[in-house]
Amino acid sequence: MEIHVDKDACVGCGLCVKDCPMHVYELQDNVSVAVRPNNCMGCLSCHEICPAQALEHRGIYAARRHYIDINVCEMLRKVV
Amino acid sequence: MSAGYIDELHEAFHSDLVYRSEEIPLECSPKPKEMEQTLHGVMKLNGLVIRSLEEIAGRGANAVTYRAGKKFGHEVAKYFQKREDVEGALHELSDLLRGQYSFEVWKPEDKETFIIEENGETFIYLVFHDCIVRQTLRRNGLDQGGPLCQTLFGYVVGAIEEITGRKAKLEIVHTGPNACLKKLVLK
Ligand code: SF4
Ligand code: SF4
Repeated sequence: MEIHVDKDACVGCGLCVKDCPMHVYELQDNVSVAVRPNNCMGCLSCHEICPAQALEHRGIYAARRHYIDINVCEMLRKVV
Repeated sequence: MSAGYIDELHEAFHSDLVYRSEEIPLECSPKPKEMEQTLHGVMKLNGLVIRSLEEIAGRGANAVTYRAGKKFGHEVAKYFQKREDVEGALHELSDLLRGQYSFEVWKPEDKETFIIEENGETFIYLVFHDCIVRQTLRRNGLDQGGPLCQTLFGYVVGAIEEITGRKAKLEIVHTGPNACLKKLVLK
C-alpha cells in the first residue's frame, strides 16, 4: 500500500493519527506522515475524517458500493 | 380512480409471453442497473427493521440478531465440507459468503504468522471488504457495529463452528467506510 499525504493541503489537525486503528500516521512538524503504510488494511476511515481531503491511497481494494443513489448523483452532476 | 388508469394498469401487466413451467431461470431479470430501486428498497426496509428493533429491544437487539445469524450460519454450513484446518474452513466460508461479502486474512507487519497467539488467545484477523450490511447501514445513516452487523457476526461464527467443529468468537476491531477489521478467536 502506498499512502500519500498532500503536505500543502494537510492542516495538521491530527485526526487521522487518532482515528487510524493501525497507527499508520504520525504528526511530524505539524504535517501527517504515513510512517507505517504496510499496516494499512484499507478501511478508509482516515479519508472520511480528514477535513482537508489530503490523503491518497494507492493499491487499495475499493469495496463495492451499493448505497449511492445513482439518480441523485446524475442530477447533482448536472448542476455541480 | 378512473377507468382509464385501471386500463393502463392492466396494459402494463399484460404480455404475450409464453411461460413454460419447466423453464429454469439462469439469470436475474431485469438487468442489475434496472434493479437499483429494488436494491434501495431492500436496503431501506432492512434499515427500518433494524432501527425499530433497536428502539424496541434496546441493547437486547444485538443478542437477538447475533443468535439469529448464528443459527442461520449453522444451518447453511451443514451442507459444506467439514474441515479441521483453519485455512480450509476459511476457504469454505468465503465460498459460502460469495457475492455478498468478501474478506481476506490479514496481519499487522510486526506479526510473523496469520494465526496469532497473544495473551493466551489464538486468533486470526479478517478484513471484510465487500459487505452488504455496511452498504445497508450507510444507505440508512445508521452506525456500523450494531444489530445488523451482529447478524453477520453470528452467521460467520455459526458457519465456522459448523465447518471446524470448534467454538469460535468474532470481535469488531474497527469499522470503516471501505473495510472492517475483525478478530476471529478460535477456542
Ligand atoms: S485506511 Fe484505515 S488502516 Fe489505512 S491508514 Fe486509513 S485509517 Fe489507517
Ligand atoms: S486528518 Fe488530514 S488534515 Fe488532519 S492531520 Fe491528517 S492528513 Fe492532515
